[in-house]
Amino acid sequence: MAEEVKEVKPKKRMTATRAAASIGPMVKEFITSTLQARAEGRQKLAYTFIVCHHEEILRAMDVIPIWTENFAGICGAKRDAERFLQRAESLGLSRSLCTYALCGIGFDQWREELGQMPPDAPWGGQARPDFMISSGQIICDPRSKWYQASQQFMPDVPIYNIDLPYPLFQRDQDHRDVWDYYHKYIVKQLRGLVAFLEEQTGKKMDYDRLRELVDLSDRTWNLIDETYKLRRAVPCPMGTGDAMNTMVPINFMMATEKAYDFFVDLKKELEEKIARGEGEVENERYRLMWGGGLPAWYALNDFNYFNSKGASFPVETTYRMVAPLNEMDIPETRDPIEHLAWRWLGYWTFWYDKAKKRPGSEPDVERLINWIEEYKIDGVVMHEAFSCRSWHVGLIWQLHQLAKIYKPIPIYVMGKDGKREKVYRELPSLILESDIIDITSYSEVDTRNKIDAFIETLESIRANRAA
Amino acid sequence: MTSYFAGIDVGSTMTKVVILNQGIVASVIGPTGPEHRRLANRVMDEALNKAQIGFEAVTYVVSTGYGRINVPFADKQFTEIACQARGIASLFPRARTIIDIGGQDVKAIKIDATGRTIDFVMNDKCAAGTGRFIEVIADALGVGLDEVGELSLQSHHPAKISNICTIYAQQEVAASLAEGVPISDLLAGVHQSLAERINTMVNRLRVEDAVIVTGGGAKNRGLLKALSEQLGHEILVPEEPLITGAFGAALLGKEIVEKARQTRTLLQTKQRILEEIEIQ
Repeated sequence: MAEEVKEVKPKKRMTATRAAASIGPMVKEFITSTLQARAEGRQKLAYTFIVCHHEEILRAMDVIPIWTENFAGICGAKRDAERFLQRAESLGLSRSLCTYALCGIGFDQWREELGQMPPDAPWGGQARPDFMISSGQIICDPRSKWYQASQQFMPDVPIYNIDLPYPLFQRDQDHRDVWDYYHKYIVKQLRGLVAFLEEQTGKKMDYDRLRELVDLSDRTWNLIDETYKLRRAVPCPMGTGDAMNTMVPINFMMATEKAYDFFVDLKKELEEKIARGEGEVENERYRLMWGGGLPAWYALNDFNYFNSKGASFPVETTYRMVAPLNEMDIPETRDPIEHLAWRWLGYWTFWYDKAKKRPGSEPDVERLINWIEEYKIDGVVMHEAFSCRSWHVGLIWQLHQLAKIYKPIPIYVMGKDGKREKVYRELPSLILESDIIDITSYSEVDTRNKIDAFIETLESIRANRAA
Repeated sequence: MTSYFAGIDVGSTMTKVVILNQGIVASVIGPTGPEHRRLANRVMDEALNKAQIGFEAVTYVVSTGYGRINVPFADKQFTEIACQARGIASLFPRARTIIDIGGQDVKAIKIDATGRTIDFVMNDKCAAGTGRFIEVIADALGVGLDEVGELSLQSHHPAKISNICTIYAQQEVAASLAEGVPISDLLAGVHQSLAERINTMVNRLRVEDAVIVTGGGAKNRGLLKALSEQLGHEILVPEEPLITGAFGAALLGKEIVEKARQTRTLLQTKQRILEEIEIQ
């Protein structure tokens, strides 16, 4: 068996908002509550994945979700993933597979072998589930294969797989022509999940409660959208470093009053900061977009390094898994399951119509373009995590498409007064390379050298414009 | 009194110093060892001796390269990206793409007509695609590093090197050598493999003429030929491709001082006018 040694703890990242600083204890609390629930045995626990639009169903059935990606991320952030990764490797799994999955499988195998938590497990460890709900959408095969691998060590724990597709973008076809078929299919999948949970819990679904929870989620979605749009302010009151904390209520606490209240507080805090002219960075010089890729959880301090150079991140595509419902063109229904299916389709097709109107654009690129303009972005930073294909495939292509639009040559646009104006639209990009939790892929020296060079490039472009 | 400006580039393999006033008055290239600080002092002393000036004659020193923070006498640090861009723009006004093939990493830089950096990419994760790759292969074949380029140009049938990993490629080359594949074919194959990797990386930027190659890799004619074929662009090489980063660093230092002097002159002029107004 591989050497099982804990790594050195990282320096704590400084947050710009009180709300982001409150996330750590919040996550610790819900990890602890799963352990407590396991000990008490009153509620069922389910391993599951984020972005499945099923939180409302789970909570309505009093099932406690154990977010396995979240626990792997915690291990990474605490620089304590290596021993679980090595354990998975010694089981014959390649390091080039999803390291979230490897970490989770390594942890599960160890816990099952010991019959108790592995020594010094982060925040008490990940509780044993009663069942596992997988979902193989968005080309992420670990979302179905991970639990199958873990089931080798927990043969008594059943798996239920839900399949949530959405129509692919086709320039010459209106996605609404086909989405009724998708909707029917997704509704069937979600009803299947309800039936599975009823069987596992021995309880019947309370559809009134489910409707209330779906309404609560919808309100939270709109509130998150309004809150994050406040980050358009100059200087930006909250950056992506903090958003890597505030993703927690979006992705792990949806359909709870706590998540809604969190964003009420965050919105208020941002409004106050804007009123005081207070930014994430004291003297904001550059506004950057985190244009794609999951973060290196053990290296969130790199956001502070960007900040020390006067760079703020007003917007990121990663983990902003909500869109304003009032801007979604989806049919109204009072059936909560049907609504969840429509909301799913509305979210994934949100940029389709806009992308069709711009030659050469695609939904992912269209989102980047819109946010580059709305948030007054000077440059794009992406992170290529070697072990995650689903979130990272296409990033380079997106940058290529962007480069076609943001050319380093003067172009003429119509100004506010109706006169032609010469503007320079170049948009430099930086690709950081490492992994989500595998720290052996990361070099702080090289990463910061790249950041330095990127900041110099931004400065150079600015100087050129001034000249 | 003549002002001198120095640029020092502490790379992974070599440390380079350039001293200039109106033009380059001295340049020195020395190996980088584990003791960056001591070596920086030694190479700098050597350059000062060559220029026949004392350190006090140097108005401003800019350091660059991955060891730039270990130059105790530097007034300012810039990354290699900014320094290469500045140096090459001065030497080749038509330059738009720079590929720097160093011992530890490869960088590609896009610059505009004014010589400013507009985008860049770097490979620093792996020895594959860097000068280190050639060093390892040359060692496995028992060929001197300075012979590698010319030998590969004698090849008529470049071997196919399929391994991307430097260590596995080394094993592959050794096995092919044992099978009787000529050294020239193996080296040509290695250059093609390296050129393919560099081309993949560089293509993240839009390659535009003129393309300039710098760093130790620019001294390898076999690699330049393979890279030119891969890129589909003609390649230009500076007279001494190892010192362009240090040269750019010195130029940036000179510009900083000249700008400061202009600002001071401007302030002095303003002050004089204000005093004259007061007198009147």
